[in-house]
Amino acid sequence: MIGLTSHPREGWSDDGPRRSQTLSRRSFLAAAAATGLGAGLAACGKSGGAASSTSTTAALTTPVDLPRPDSPVTWPIYSSNKAIASGLEPEKNATLKIYNWVAYVNQKDLDAFGKKYKCKVELTTFNTMTEAIAKLRSGQFNFDVFVPTVDVLGQLVSAKIIRPLNHTYIPNISQAWPQYTSPFYDQSWQYTVPYTIYTTGIAWRKDHVDEDPDTMANAWAMPWQAKYKGKVAILDDYRESMALGLMKNGILDLNTSNTAQLQAATNSLLQLDKLVNLHIDNNDYSNVPSGQIWIHHAWSGDMAAAANYMPKGTPVDVVGYWFPSNGKGPVGNDTLTVLSGGNNPVLAHLFLNYMLDLPNALENVSYNGYMQPLNGITPQVLVSEGILPPSLTSTVVLPSYFDNGLRELELAPTVDAEWEQSWLRVSGGV
Amino acid sequence: MRKWADRDQKRWVWVAFAMPGIIWLTILFIVPFYAVLAIAGGKLNQIFESPIPVWNPLNWTAASFTAVFHDFVGQSAFVGPIFVRTLIYVAIASVLSLVIAYPAAYFVTRFAGRRKVFFLALLIAPFWISYMMRMLAWIDLLQTDGYVNRALVDVHLIGQPVDWLGGKSMTVILGLVYGYIPYLILVLYAGLDRIDQRLLEAGRDLGLNRIRTFVRITLPLSRQTILTGMLITVLPMVGDYFTNQMLSGSESTSMIGNVIDSQLNTASQQSQGAALSLLLLVFLLAPMLYYVFQTHRASKEAF
Repeated sequence: MIGLTSHPREGWSDDGPRRSQTLSRRSFLAAAAATGLGAGLAACGKSGGAASSTSTTAALTTPVDLPRPDSPVTWPIYSSNKAIASGLEPEKNATLKIYNWVAYVNQKDLDAFGKKYKCKVELTTFNTMTEAIAKLRSGQFNFDVFVPTVDVLGQLVSAKIIRPLNHTYIPNISQAWPQYTSPFYDQSWQYTVPYTIYTTGIAWRKDHVDEDPDTMANAWAMPWQAKYKGKVAILDDYRESMALGLMKNGILDLNTSNTAQLQAATNSLLQLDKLVNLHIDNNDYSNVPSGQIWIHHAWSGDMAAAANYMPKGTPVDVVGYWFPSNGKGPVGNDTLTVLSGGNNPVLAHLFLNYMLDLPNALENVSYNGYMQPLNGITPQVLVSEGILPPSLTSTVVLPSYFDNGLRELELAPTVDAEWEQSWLRVSGGV
Repeated sequence: MRKWADRDQKRWVWVAFAMPGIIWLTILFIVPFYAVLAIAGGKLNQIFESPIPVWNPLNWTAASFTAVFHDFVGQSAFVGPIFVRTLIYVAIASVLSLVIAYPAAYFVTRFAGRRKVFFLALLIAPFWISYMMRMLAWIDLLQTDGYVNRALVDVHLIGQPVDWLGGKSMTVILGLVYGYIPYLILVLYAGLDRIDQRLLEAGRDLGLNRIRTFVRITLPLSRQTILTGMLITVLPMVGDYFTNQMLSGSESTSMIGNVIDSQLNTASQQSQGAALSLLLLVFLLAPMLYYVFQTHRASKEAF
């Protein structure tokens, strides 16, 4: 698996267009899992056992709070898991261990941080949140910094996997959008600072598709067109794609527990499969530029990278990205956290602070595609810095989207199981 | 040999020889297998939605098996067609493999002559490169603008490039054949090579022509080998998910291995995945038992 990464922004600094890649994050996981069912399951068993021994049984059987924009959550701070004291010196001769998604941070930022604070920076990557949490729960790794999605914060806090922050080390929070000093998923930013923010919309090829989603009554229904058979794809992600099915039916509650609504979404997706011989993949960043797919349910950060993947001679402005201009579409963000099992909590705080500094953030976005919600990062800046083509400014997330956007958030276990089961019916497991 | 082994004081030597194998099987087969059972019959962690294995069989619950049952039967059933598709794919792929592998193995044993070693090296060659790398190579070859399409367009076999990787049953079946055929050829080679040449010579001496020698002597004698080879390829093919993921990734070609893989990658469905893989194992026990029975009978006949 060495040398193979599938993240959209791999090699952003390269001059020419990159060869299209056909591997998804899932494929890598599959490859890893191919080494044996038995070993995988044995590992699961182990992680379950380790967790119950490190946390109280009560904490593990009571479902945690479910943060929603209209019912924000202030996470508890446990006496056994407190923030570090103020004014500590950074650890000496240390190796800061960062645990992040594959190809989701610019190595240049890591090198520069190491130079500035005279430490080594070691990056370890994961492919799915499930995999990452299973590893962290095993308690066998002393990573310092972790990049969780907001829907798993409850799990991480209640199992004391992440450490409360000491704000005095992170003055650069002032550079972030003001919402992030008290987001609904972590009031008073006790555990998290923002990392990336992105939307989920529709990418399309203007040179092959006649319709313009901006003028359509319901653009979420754009993929449902038999004339584009074989040229339509949706994301391989149970939350995102079920959400597409819901929005196609005009349902904007993306955390619904209503069985009839989930049924309607499932039926729509099954119908879509019949209609267009649906592709299910996360290769929107390469498949749309290469022209293999004409209408792709897509992530904003992936499409922001489109210019890198255009074949020679095809201008990048044939690629469009649509997200509702009123912000009523899926908005997601990742966070940076300090792990309680790490050996270098001071350096970890300093790293969080470092990544919130505009020049470092721009360096990161230029590689990563996924933008960071800082006041200094605007469509104008991204275009003038040459990071984003002017035709794709629709991929930029605006501060108003944080307030208006739809969120895919943590579900109650039984509801989550229903979502997953519905998606399995649509995807057939591929 | 026999006399020596019967002596009691020497017995432990032979038992000791078996120990590495027994320990290996215990650690790497029985323990994980029991872990699968414990997860299938286990509970769910309500916060992480991950399975908690239950090691005491008395406390096992049937919930995950019931869930799998409802995947096959009833209103929300969806696995039935996928399972049937898996069996069809595997049937076609294994027959195709046999049709290709048998002549190849036959050629190497009978006609390769002094170049036998060379051909054997060629047969083993695929094992030098990992399965994943070979599949990645196929992805490159089969892409819309890949060499396969370009070659076919150049010789005017097709007008437009074909979307081989866009969920085509044929691509998946050929991928299965490609992936597992080396195993089959090696097994067939080993079996065919063991057939006593003198039997063939006797057949020829008694007036059989080449074709009838093959039909009357070689084929019956290689029946057991074919059975072994088919078992070695069919069993992993039924559980394969990787070929499909690499060469198709479309719901329309999904196999039962993909369903299990997907369940195992979803924390809350891991126990269902465990239950489904156990059921698949029970299903695959039938051909396995048939094989054991056949082998037993064949070895009896031989003496």
